[in-house]
Amino acid sequence: MATLQKLPYVSSCSTASSYGVHSDKIDMFPAGLRVLVVDDDFACLRIVEQMLRRCSYLATTCSHATAALNLLREKKGCFDLVLSDVHMPDMDGFKLLELVGLEMDLPVIMMSADGRTSAVMRGIRHGACDYLIKPIREEELKNIWQHVVRKKWNETKEQENSSSLDENDRHRRGTDDVEYASSVNEGSEGILKAQKKRRDIKEEDDGEFDNDDSSASKKPRVVWSVELHQQFVSAVNQLGIDKAVPKRILELMNVPGLTRENVASHLQKFRLYLKRLSGVSQQQVGLPNSFCGHVEQNPKLGPLERFDFQALAASGQIPPLTLAALHAELLGRPTGSVVLPEIHQQLLLQGSRQGQESVHCDAGVTYGQPVRKCPSDISKQFSQISSEDVNSNFQTWPPNSLGSIGSSSNLTGVAAQNGNLLMGVMHNQQQMQRQMLQQQQHNQSIVQESTPSINVQPSCLVVPSRPASFQVVNGPSISQSCSFGGTEAIFNGTDYGLVTTPRPNNSLYGVGQMLGGDHRTTKILNGYSGAGPASPSIPSCSANDDNNALGRVQNSSPEFNTSRQVPILLRNINDIQGSYSEKSSQLDRGTLRKLGFVGKETCIPRRFAVDEVESFISCNGNTYRGNGKKVKQEPNVDFIEMANTSNPMMHHFSPNDLMSVFSE
Amino acid sequence: MLGLESYRLVADMNRLLALLFHQGVLDEQFLQLQQLQDESSPNFVSEVVNIYFNESEKLLRNLRALLMDREQWEYTKVGVHLNQLIGSSSSIGANRIRNVCVALRAASEQNNRLGCLRALDVLEHEYCYLKNKLHEFFHIEQQRVLAAGIRYPNPMQQHQHHP
Repeated sequence: MATLQKLPYVSSCSTASSYGVHSDKIDMFPAGLRVLVVDDDFACLRIVEQMLRRCSYLATTCSHATAALNLLREKKGCFDLVLSDVHMPDMDGFKLLELVGLEMDLPVIMMSADGRTSAVMRGIRHGACDYLIKPIREEELKNIWQHVVRKKWNETKEQENSSSLDENDRHRRGTDDVEYASSVNEGSEGILKAQKKRRDIKEEDDGEFDNDDSSASKKPRVVWSVELHQQFVSAVNQLGIDKAVPKRILELMNVPGLTRENVASHLQKFRLYLKRLSGVSQQQVGLPNSFCGHVEQNPKLGPLERFDFQALAASGQIPPLTLAALHAELLGRPTGSVVLPEIHQQLLLQGSRQGQESVHCDAGVTYGQPVRKCPSDISKQFSQISSEDVNSNFQTWPPNSLGSIGSSSNLTGVAAQNGNLLMGVMHNQQQMQRQMLQQQQHNQSIVQESTPSINVQPSCLVVPSRPASFQVVNGPSISQSCSFGGTEAIFNGTDYGLVTTPRPNNSLYGVGQMLGGDHRTTKILNGYSGAGPASPSIPSCSANDDNNALGRVQNSSPEFNTSRQVPILLRNINDIQGSYSEKSSQLDRGTLRKLGFVGKETCIPRRFAVDEVESFISCNGNTYRGNGKKVKQEPNVDFIEMANTSNPMMHHFSPNDLMSVFSE
Repeated sequence: MLGLESYRLVADMNRLLALLFHQGVLDEQFLQLQQLQDESSPNFVSEVVNIYFNESEKLLRNLRALLMDREQWEYTKVGVHLNQLIGSSSSIGANRIRNVCVALRAASEQNNRLGCLRALDVLEHEYCYLKNKLHEFFHIEQQRVLAAGIRYPNPMQQHQHHP
């Protein structure tokens, strides 16, 4: 004890080294984990040290935060994890946490006797990857290695991301595949021609967004406009799909500025689409008529399927923002660049021409509403997060942790599922739609085996994030909404009050559903979010969703002035003062992007997500520069992450699977 | 004879522990502590408990000073001290001290000075009680170790048992 007090620095380096001798220990992974424990309470310090030793971790104890920081700085790379007390006389634990996060980027676990929600939330906000409430138990410490692994994982992802963009793209395409598959599934018009059209659009969109987020600065983006894509398709047709090689296509297309690589990546996607399509279309022939008729009902169906949206917007039935959100969701891509893709501009032009005045209201709905709704919940949500366990497979980064939750209600409405929300709103009073929804839910429930959710959802019209968004994204659904023009009028977007009202419903039901007997934490947590109760059940899909969300936020940021509300509202939530409005739009975009990041969350380690929230705060100050780098990097991280998680899932929910379920 | 003595001491220890558990002075965290004791640190429990008493005595003194200071009410400092005391008390399983600390914290948050002082009195009392009891406990344990030590490592006795 005396030694402990005399040597606030390191009391057990000797142990560490003695452990280090047994190098074979390192092979048995969690054993040998190097943990730095910082606590001004010597009793706790000693207990935790002993516990760690019992877990065969290498514990180094330190009674002063400053000393710990020095130690960490001196011996960079000598520790895997930091366990820190919150209240320390020389330095607040949170400060230490922040510094460690910034300088060393080590996972930090906070410990405190104070288990009150506010305290735990503070920890999370500051980027703690876990928050242990004293008394600490050995079982809790046994598990801490997971944070190290998680961190490492994400770092690798980051590197991967920066190194191979194409890989990244491919993965993301995987995400799209799933989305596409399900939307086709729900759409079910079963007309091959329409399918082909959509595929084309989709294809083009994909190409368009390909390099947006990550490489906007690297190489000029190729916008696969309709014309360009048609040129591409005709070239491919001319050559024959099997014999089509990028070089020949390029020659045939004869478009200046287009490179072989551009064509190659586009071709790759095109092939994938064809492949997928063949699987889908076979199934679709057998679809019942009732599901096939919707397309024809749409009087405003544009020449191309995608222009459904535009047509709707033109008729004022979908507010422009929704439209953009929708579109972004459909694409699931962030633009990342100030230059908008052509498509978006078109969309926006149309939308704003028709519904100029509605833009602001809608922004209010999308962004403002959730925020207003949530503050009371935030703390709960956050506190839940901390206790929530993380599973190992894809759910390892389930949308339930922090981000999606924090986000779900606040950031979120913005980020994660607002498209769905709006969509849900749009479809609120549509009987047919409801039927479809039920169908889809049925569908989904079969796939995901989560019966409880069915009971609630169909009746309450909560739009479970996945199906609803697809429904909307889909052509048929939209035409459906056209045919119900009367009710649709409510959602023309001009009336704030009306638009917002259904939203509480949504969240309410989200909660109701949560109560409806779901024993999975993920579920419950998501239930909280109201918007996306169903998303955790299908990992890949939810990842998808989040992807979209991110994309949407990013997309919309440059387009709508009103979207600036987001950071402001967010900052309110975080109790930060200061005006944001004078910041340049660049900054705004950065924030938004981060926002998207937070909202999307799925695969981010918690402290990353939290960091994002944090960097909002620091945006006010000088530290923004420091964060600026992160801002740029992180969205990529999750993409890759997500891509990786969703890719395997693709096989799981292959179009065929879904289709078969559906047709049955 | 010696074995019997050792046996009796163990029984005493158990009885004392049972009493403390029954009174709610200790909780199962203390048992956790005992489980952490192994051959690498044979005196782990008493070591930790001693650290705890030293630390909490300081904290109690500080708390007393803070609360008696009529000029200024250092609410946050009280809170910090209490937090630490709660943390360490719960870590060794000093359940009743912990509970009193929580009550004290509540009183201080309500700016209830009288309640604070009363709680502090109780806290000091609890502290003394636990300290006495645990000292008694470790005293018995020491005796037991001594008794056991005489019995086993002594080669003379071993020769007697196995001639």
